Amino acid sequence: MNKPYSGTHNAKITQLISGLLIGAAISLGGCATTGVTEQQISTNKDDPYESINRKMFTFNDNVDDYVAAPISDAYKWITPQFMQTGVFNFFNNLKNINVVINDVLQAKFAQSAHDTGRFALNTTMGLGGFVDVATHVGLERNDEDFEQTLAVWGVPQGSYLVIPFLGPTTIRGIPGAAFDTAANPASYVGLPVQLISLLNTRANAEGALKFIDEAALDPYVFTRESFLQWRNNLATDGKAESSLDLDAELGEDSAGSAAKGGDTVVDNKKAPTLHVNSEIK
Amino acid sequence: MILKKVKLAMVFIACLFAGNAIAQEATGATAKQVVEKFQNELIAVMKEGKQLGYAGRYDKLFEPVSNSHDLTKIARIVVGKESEKLSEEQQQKLIEAFSRFSVASYAHNFKDYSGESFIFDSEEETARGGVVVHSHLVIPDDKPVKFDYMLKEKGNSWRIINIIANGVSDLALKRSEYTAILQREGFDALIAKINEKIDNYSKL
Repeated sequence: MNKPYSGTHNAKITQLISGLLIGAAISLGGCATTGVTEQQISTNKDDPYESINRKMFTFNDNVDDYVAAPISDAYKWITPQFMQTGVFNFFNNLKNINVVINDVLQAKFAQSAHDTGRFALNTTMGLGGFVDVATHVGLERNDEDFEQTLAVWGVPQGSYLVIPFLGPTTIRGIPGAAFDTAANPASYVGLPVQLISLLNTRANAEGALKFIDEAALDPYVFTRESFLQWRNNLATDGKAESSLDLDAELGEDSAGSAAKGGDTVVDNKKAPTLHVNSEIK
Repeated sequence: MILKKVKLAMVFIACLFAGNAIAQEATGATAKQVVEKFQNELIAVMKEGKQLGYAGRYDKLFEPVSNSHDLTKIARIVVGKESEKLSEEQQQKLIEAFSRFSVASYAHNFKDYSGESFIFDSEEETARGGVVVHSHLVIPDDKPVKFDYMLKEKGNSWRIINIIANGVSDLALKRSEYTAILQREGFDALIAKINEKIDNYSKL
């Protein structure tokens, strides 16, 4: 069944990607008219298309509630845990190819050797990738993708976007995802395998989705902020945190020096600095 | 004239150092000690988490969280410039709700123990007189989670004002959320949402 699919399937992927790009272009175009009024409310520079993004977020949330979550729950119910872990490892191992390519593109040569070793070890000793032998022997997984490579090359992040069915990304994330899909062997082996890959991704996101559901006062903003911070942290390999410290400090520093004086002083002094703070972000 | 200025500056710097030393002697708790004390208290509650139940964990964590975090300052930072528009009474209400929410989320998310431990990595002073304590949480059979605590001096003790977990800043995240809700839906909606979340935590 798989073979006859693969020919047309490539075409389908290209269609899907171009469809998404066109979709994004349309939604961006559509926003241009509403953008003016929206920007007055919006405080976040990274998210000029908030009003349409919020609609997409609600749409995706509904799709998840009524379609993805039930299927994912069924998958988790019928599949033994060791199989779930195996499937997770298998797809993760294929991603190592991507990681290695992006290591090289970012000139991280030592890391690329490390990740090649991981891939080789898991593919052979790890029975085609189902067992993550490499982590057990201390070869930890690195997280690299083409979006991070573009970031390293100096491509700006661009606006935050929520894409139907796929969720949060940025303008830089779209070519990033297209490249990574093209470079991942799992993209070429036919629909059933991809469905399993999708199920597996959803099943693994369970914890994070539950956390957002429980903790977020505004799930849209919570998802956006944590997504952007997480991506920024990955792209800078954790070095972004110092700027986050500074960010936090700017906000409360004048308050910090005033704090010893008394709380009432803090109130008056804080407002202007916080304004600067949100601008910087 | 210049010499005089330099002298003045030297005296000033000396005073600053002396002040710091006295403050530390008086309390004895450095930023690192504040963080480690809190982490130990958290792990202790996790260890008896199941027997305590949610309400028990909440009660046991209230003091440790309030004493190690500067919840008043955090609550003011997260509403950002919107705080200008809040009355004194509203600000008090926000601080009170925010404090309960912070303790509740600890009580909910750190509910049991399966061999986790916090490891101290390093400590650094920031340019503006804060301290960042880098540490990570070791979870058996899982990837460790980086916890970076940002502390500021309050009176003569150190208090946590931000936690950055795996590069995601709690303060920045909350500030975006809280200011967005205040702008879109107003103060009462914000308090209602916080209370709803606390209520959910107690039921889960």
